[in-house]
Amino acid sequence: MIEFKNVNKQYPANSLREEKTALKEVSFFVKEGEFVTLCGRSGAGKTTVLKLISAEEKPSSGTVFLENQNTAEIKKGEAYLLRQKLGFIFQDYKLLPYKTIFENVAYALEASSNDGEKTEEEVLQVLDLVGLGDKLNCLPRELSGGEKQRVSIARALIHRPRVILADEPTGNLDPYHSRDIIKILLKINEAGSTVVLSTHSKEIVNALKKRVITLEDGRIIRDEEKGRFFL
Amino acid sequence: MIKYLQKIFKTSWTNLKRQGFLTLATSIVIFIAVVLGTSLFIFQGGVSFLVEAIKDKIDVSVYFNERVSREEILKIREEVAKLEEVKKVSYISPEEAYENFVKTHEDDPYLESLEAIEINPFLPSLVIQTREPSQYKVVSEFFKKEDYAPLVYEIDDYKRGVIIDRLSGLASGIRNLGLALTLFLSFIAIAVTFNTLRLSIYSQKEEIEVMRLVGAKNSFIRGPFLIQGALCGFFAAIISFVLFFLFFFSFKTSLEGLFMGFDAFAFYKQNIFIVLLIQLLIGVGLGLISSFFAVRKYLKD
Repeated sequence: MIEFKNVNKQYPANSLREEKTALKEVSFFVKEGEFVTLCGRSGAGKTTVLKLISAEEKPSSGTVFLENQNTAEIKKGEAYLLRQKLGFIFQDYKLLPYKTIFENVAYALEASSNDGEKTEEEVLQVLDLVGLGDKLNCLPRELSGGEKQRVSIARALIHRPRVILADEPTGNLDPYHSRDIIKILLKINEAGSTVVLSTHSKEIVNALKKRVITLEDGRIIRDEEKGRFFL
Repeated sequence: MIKYLQKIFKTSWTNLKRQGFLTLATSIVIFIAVVLGTSLFIFQGGVSFLVEAIKDKIDVSVYFNERVSREEILKIREEVAKLEEVKKVSYISPEEAYENFVKTHEDDPYLESLEAIEINPFLPSLVIQTREPSQYKVVSEFFKKEDYAPLVYEIDDYKRGVIIDRLSGLASGIRNLGLALTLFLSFIAIAVTFNTLRLSIYSQKEEIEVMRLVGAKNSFIRGPFLIQGALCGFFAAIISFVLFFLFFFSFKTSLEGLFMGFDAFAFYKQNIFIVLLIQLLIGVGLGLISSFFAVRKYLKD
């Protein structure tokens, strides 16, 4: 499903920073339907891994495959086809503040599909799934952090992605809401989607008892089934 | 496809309304560019008018000896009129020349002296206008030929030559200056519009990022921005079209006096479709091009 082969990633120097090596010789394979936690300190390279999967960045050397497709070989203007197979969940939610909850989720479907007829039905279904069926007309500012993250999950799920990429989804949440979000991610995984979760929360990693890939300074230092937090 | 376009139009219209202030700011900047473009077009019209007015004032007068008959001069006129370079030839008899002199010197004291000598001192002449001011030399050369030279008393191109050359230089100088000004100001207008739209699009970069990550096609992301830019340009063009019309209509007389008889309102009316086309091209074109380049930065893949 997802494969990294000897991936190195350097960010070139610019006026704000020097050249930075984000990943060094990273190799791993994620099977379809797997739940993988990427664990590591800030700057370890977790977000870079997610960006390489979504073809937001290209590796400096090595190869990244998503469903047997080399992400570096995607033609200009066609990355959207790959991203339609993915669902993104961000730490800062990235909801559009002037759109209602319903519109935020529907927008993702409208942007990625030409068929607008089933939009309403599908949006209602997915908002029910994350328990926000009664807040359709609320604006993001009227919701709590946990609720915003659930909208973000609903948006990620709306086009039935095969892979969910969650970048520190609980980073801004209290333990109660964090557990809530993780439960939803587990539910999504049970339904068949592959989940790649990036986190530096010891509690979450230890509670999940799923595969853990630990990164340090851009290198994988551990890759364990039913792993525990190690740093 | 139609639904896809509908979605793009709907999004752009919603964004346009939502970003009221930015829409206004962008429209104002494009409006300034359109006003500039239109003013330069009218300025070019004024320059052409001025150049033609100068050209019309440039002529060569050929004075014939007293003994040359009217018939002979009229024959020569026919020959001169055949010259490719000649636009117009008029015969001025001594009587007409006298009358013209009296008309133009009504209040001069030496008119009394002229009346006192009781003879007409004016010679018959041909007043010749060439198509281009620089061609007056061809006319001079024509009258220096053996057939005509004995008949001619004087050709005044030697006196006027320098003035004619200067006026010609002035006319082409004004035209070139107008063109240089047009290019320079157009460049500034493009730069200012581009930067305003870039700022406007920068404020929406998070939205663009979200759209990219949810799998929107680049055309779907770019579409609303292009339409927003085009709509701002369209509004700017229409407002500028109406304001120019009202301005020229209201200040018709004053402007005519100010610009040496150039009737800007009549020029605007005569070229109304060209003006509208120019305004729409500048407005919509600037909006589209600036939006395209401003949003391209965020659509690297």
